Amino acid sequence: MESYPAEYLFTKSLKGFFEEVGQLSRFAARFFREVVKPPYEFKALMNQSYIIGYKSLPLIAITGLIMGMVLTIQSRPTMAQFGAESWLPGMVSISIIREIGPVIAALIFAGKVGSGIGAELASMKVTEQIDAMEVSGLNPFKFLVVTRVAATTLMLPVLVIASDAISLFGCFLAVNLKGDISFHLFFTQVFSSVTFNDVFPALIKTFFFGFSVGIIGCYKGYNSVKGTEGVGAAANSAVVIGSLAVFIIDMIAVQLTSLFN
Amino acid sequence: MKKTTGNNVRLGLFISITIALFVAGIYFVGDRQQLFSRSFHIYGIFKNIDGLQVGNNVRFSGINIGVIGGIHQLSDTSVSVRFVVNESSRKFIKKNVSAVIGTDGLMGNKVVSLIPGSAGQPEISNNDIIATIRPVSMDEIMCKIKITADNAASISTDMAAIMDNITEGRGTIGKLLMDTSFANNIDKTIVNLKQGTGGFKRNMDAASHNFLLKGFFRKKKDKAKQ
Repeated sequence: MESYPAEYLFTKSLKGFFEEVGQLSRFAARFFREVVKPPYEFKALMNQSYIIGYKSLPLIAITGLIMGMVLTIQSRPTMAQFGAESWLPGMVSISIIREIGPVIAALIFAGKVGSGIGAELASMKVTEQIDAMEVSGLNPFKFLVVTRVAATTLMLPVLVIASDAISLFGCFLAVNLKGDISFHLFFTQVFSSVTFNDVFPALIKTFFFGFSVGIIGCYKGYNSVKGTEGVGAAANSAVVIGSLAVFIIDMIAVQLTSLFN
Repeated sequence: MKKTTGNNVRLGLFISITIALFVAGIYFVGDRQQLFSRSFHIYGIFKNIDGLQVGNNVRFSGINIGVIGGIHQLSDTSVSVRFVVNESSRKFIKKNVSAVIGTDGLMGNKVVSLIPGSAGQPEISNNDIIATIRPVSMDEIMCKIKITADNAASISTDMAAIMDNITEGRGTIGKLLMDTSFANNIDKTIVNLKQGTGGFKRNMDAASHNFLLKGFFRKKKDKAKQ
């Protein structure tokens, strides 16, 4: 086995990182070029939206419900020390709507959808189905990548809204485990705490989360190499890089939101 | 084909329900901020708004009737605050209403309370400027508490000095409480006083039997009998 000096390995990996970023940027730029160019694949988009959005709903709904309940149950003892249990609905709802709801849903989404897209496209690549599409005159990028990325970009915000609503319901259930609050009073307290400054920045960033999960999954799958081994690697790196991208975008979004506030 | 149609229906239903939830949420949030209900604006000029922010509640008789719509600094000593008030509350708010900035609970957000004016005044109009009451800030309260604490410290120092003097038997009260010879003197004085009054009684008895004063005492006895 050959041994290389540490500086060489560092430079090589740094070069590899920037090369990857450059290729991903070109891939994203190609997506923006192709998405506006007719013909539009509406049927494929609807199909992908169903697979990516609707079929992810149960997983995201269960996660949201548990998240709302756990957050409330964990916060209660601290709030009870101050006699501020009545603040639970407001506090938990702001946490869910602003931050925890979008991020957790995006991470679950990256795990389920990102890996699925990466593995699916990678297996199509290694079995030369993508090449076959090109030979038969179809535009595989438009049919496979554009529809998937558009679907992830459009469906994640919808899933996050559903997840937030279910989380709030979970919070209501958890508040009623040890306390007694009516459904009407709970939602009055929730909506008296939440403002548009909480809702819209959180919703806007979910479009970016969805886009990043989709584009990274497609990029990893579409550029997969090394045969069947590459399928697993593509699925794995789609999840890892997609999740990392979610956190990076979230950090930027928080900075921008606080700047505008 | 049938399967695709079914999938599309499910997808459409899912998206429609989620969008409906979102729209309902937006409506409830906006309704609280008086965005979808008819409202009017009134203004108050404060010297110090004590951390009041846009979006804080405006209360009248303890009911949330609006929010703070805007805050603008007019000069170094005056800040204009715009209140967005629900139109349905207008009939209760008179021209001579006044505004005071308070806090919602002990640790809560700032809130503006509108204090009702006297009856018989016309109802408030759009863009009216209302009177404001200068809020008592926490700093002022702390300043007053400090003065009180300083005074208490000074009083307790003086009291300690007085108590020292008393304990050591200095001064009138000190002598009264701590000097045993003083107490003995008082005892002797009382014994002397008793002896003196006993002697005086005997003298008076002797005088009543004296022939020169007998008539005077008899007359006194007769008067007492009548």
